[in-house]
Amino acid sequence: MPLPTSVLEELRRAVGREHVINSTNDLRIFERDASIEGAMPDAVVLPATTSEVSAVIKVAAKNRIPVVPRGAGTGLSGGAVTIRGGIALQVTRMRKILEIDPVTQTALVEPGVVNQELSLAAASQKLFYAPDPSSQKACTIGGNAAENSGGPHCLYYGVTTDHVVGMEVVLADGSVHWVSGDAPDRVGLDLCGVLVGSEGTLCAITKIKVRLLRTPPSVATLLAAFPTIDAASQAVSAVIGQGIVPAALEMMDSVTVGAVEAHYHAGYPTDAGAVLLVEVDGIAESTRELMAAVRKVLAANQGYALREAQSPAERDLLWAGRKGAIGALGRIKPNYYLHDGVVPRSRLPQILSAVGVIGVHYKLPVANVFHAGDGHLHPNILFDLRDRDVLPQVESAGEEMLRAVVELGGALSGEHGIGLEKSAFMPWVYSPDDLDAMRRVKDALDTNGIMNPGKVFPDPERKVPHLAGRSGLAIEAKWW
Amino acid sequence: MTAKTAVEKPATAEELVKLLHEAAEAGFAVRPVGGGRAMEMGDPPSREDIELRTTALDRVLEHSQADMVVSVEAGITLEALQLQLGKSGQFLPLDPFNSPGHTIGGLLATGWTGPLRQRFGSARDFLIGIRVALPDGRLATAGGRVVKNVSGYDLMKLHYGALGTLGVIVAASFKVFPKPLHDVTVESAQGSMDEAWGDVERALSMPMAPAAVELFSNGRVVARFLGSPDATKRMVSDLGWAKADAAFWKKHAKAAPSTWARIAAPRHQLRSILDKLGPDQDWWASPGIGLANWAVAGTSDDIRAVRAAAVAAGGSLVLLAGPADLRRDAGAWGTPPATLHLMRRLRSAFDPNSVINPGRFVV
Repeated sequence: MPLPTSVLEELRRAVGREHVINSTNDLRIFERDASIEGAMPDAVVLPATTSEVSAVIKVAAKNRIPVVPRGAGTGLSGGAVTIRGGIALQVTRMRKILEIDPVTQTALVEPGVVNQELSLAAASQKLFYAPDPSSQKACTIGGNAAENSGGPHCLYYGVTTDHVVGMEVVLADGSVHWVSGDAPDRVGLDLCGVLVGSEGTLCAITKIKVRLLRTPPSVATLLAAFPTIDAASQAVSAVIGQGIVPAALEMMDSVTVGAVEAHYHAGYPTDAGAVLLVEVDGIAESTRELMAAVRKVLAANQGYALREAQSPAERDLLWAGRKGAIGALGRIKPNYYLHDGVVPRSRLPQILSAVGVIGVHYKLPVANVFHAGDGHLHPNILFDLRDRDVLPQVESAGEEMLRAVVELGGALSGEHGIGLEKSAFMPWVYSPDDLDAMRRVKDALDTNGIMNPGKVFPDPERKVPHLAGRSGLAIEAKWW
Repeated sequence: MTAKTAVEKPATAEELVKLLHEAAEAGFAVRPVGGGRAMEMGDPPSREDIELRTTALDRVLEHSQADMVVSVEAGITLEALQLQLGKSGQFLPLDPFNSPGHTIGGLLATGWTGPLRQRFGSARDFLIGIRVALPDGRLATAGGRVVKNVSGYDLMKLHYGALGTLGVIVAASFKVFPKPLHDVTVESAQGSMDEAWGDVERALSMPMAPAAVELFSNGRVVARFLGSPDATKRMVSDLGWAKADAAFWKKHAKAAPSTWARIAAPRHQLRSILDKLGPDQDWWASPGIGLANWAVAGTSDDIRAVRAAAVAAGGSLVLLAGPADLRRDAGAWGTPPATLHLMRRLRSAFDPNSVINPGRFVV
């Protein structure tokens, strides 16, 4: 529904004429993120400052128009999709690194700063920003904070929330607040902690202060082949079971390895049922000892063709294969649906086998490339949109996989967020009382309900999940 | 505390939430109590009719060694949990002061930490699931039992350090850690305060950061390195400090001044605040975290003066223990944060009639 001219004029006054987009052709660009479902915004507004964000939200609040904050649009759960129309609040003009402080080892950035740009900028101070989503060349720190994004190195270093020191946020009434800050143990409730990962449903983020870490003096990266996914999963459990927590511990199945090798020629063993990419870092003594221990455990668990990167270039190549794996899968099918779920680590063999069975059932190839050390799964369903009626099949397969994740005691998402994609599944893991507690937070902070409506919480007006009622399993709160 | 305070010790979470609900309906004020190690933290409650003890909720609900995840009831003590985890070579890296006897629920509600926070962060960082009893009679769960989870709001963060004001914690799940391969304690040669601060900075800037560094008002500096044998050996030899007895940490964890203030500041500004305390005051600090504990020997004016310095640096001074009059007079929390009205909205969403710990917390 187009916004009334009067509202458009108010928005133009807030950010400047050229920074309000409302022609249908231009709006189309902002119709989707990197997930499946899209919806057209009524307007895209590109503020340059916090006060402009505040002014835009005040206009939206006065006119009860939804506001959906948006960074690079690389999100995978529909968080940036304007499902109820309204304003896409595009923050990419706010992309200054305001400060990198080598003494406090923090950086203050605007939300549109690209993840990798921050690490590159910090490198001269021998510092880096740890969360490293595979989309780090494009995704923004604001989007990362809104989604509480992860990445391969979160196994040791933790996810985004562990690295956010404080934020400047704009609430649904346009008010601007600093939450948290440099000192530990702040007085009062931890607003920052609950706003990180709130997927744009509680606030717009306008500045983020993040912790930077010292670049480790030494890094060792090892690639190991395994005859089967099961063997590789066992090896993962064995490494962790030895008390070793590597910086990263990633798995790729044979489908992925084949595509990656054809594309990158990184020397991935194409005869393997699965490969593990293991990285340890620290001082030289530590990486040497840890890598020796890792090698021993992998070899004792059917690992073969162990290959350690001998140079930074070789290490980069090994990682290029991992981080570019999703793109390389385009060699098999032009489209993909990347799923996200977490199981207790020891359940990896079971969930991977279930994922395989589901893929076969729907006659859809599935490639697995994921954060094995965390039990964090990324089944990637490959398909061709030109095939008739393939999309409902893809969606059903994905749902069944998620259902299996939950039945094994897992979580709906480890880093992509709930967004639009998984909101209908929330009752699988949370009881009505659990969801009610979250709803109270939403209502207390988003007082007029304009912040990214239709996300995270199950929407009674939207599709019922295909599987609801089919198994009749009561999974909620199983873990107690 | 009045003599009229009734003590309840429910045996299950369901029983606890029922008692809480009944109290709320009847208009009684409830003080949740775990190990009773932080009874004087905060302002003296305006009312307390019922003391709700969680200590009968002391079970380990599930510990999966392979997944390195544990779920416990809130009333289990830290020591009992460590004993269980230790059997599998694992531990929860928490070493709070005024130990032993803290319950897990109490540690989460108060947010108390110890020296190991330098390396592992606080329980805020490895709390992955929580179950809370609400005054309206509901039990609400957030998070789960996996180490990475972004399904819904991170309510764990809201309950952590909230002194129970958003609900009484009845159970929690944690990511646990493998016991370190090697654990070495070292101590610098004691000298002037200037030298001590220099030692602290040197330890913190080692290429493999120490897991803990504690500084005392008498100039003593003790550090702890965890890691692989060769790596810890190199750090110890590069630093050149004397080996010290690991038993130091257990003794240190017992520290609990009768009048006790926690000073928090951005880490590089902590010294300027501590310098104001003067040479006759006893304190110890975790300088790498930006925290200090002050055994207050002074008046509420002295407390206010130090607090002003902490606040000016962007930090805080919170009273963790002390006579009620002093806490009332100086105020346990100081100037409320600018976002207090938002915090109040959250509190009233969960505890609209301020049934839990009324008047004790800042919100």
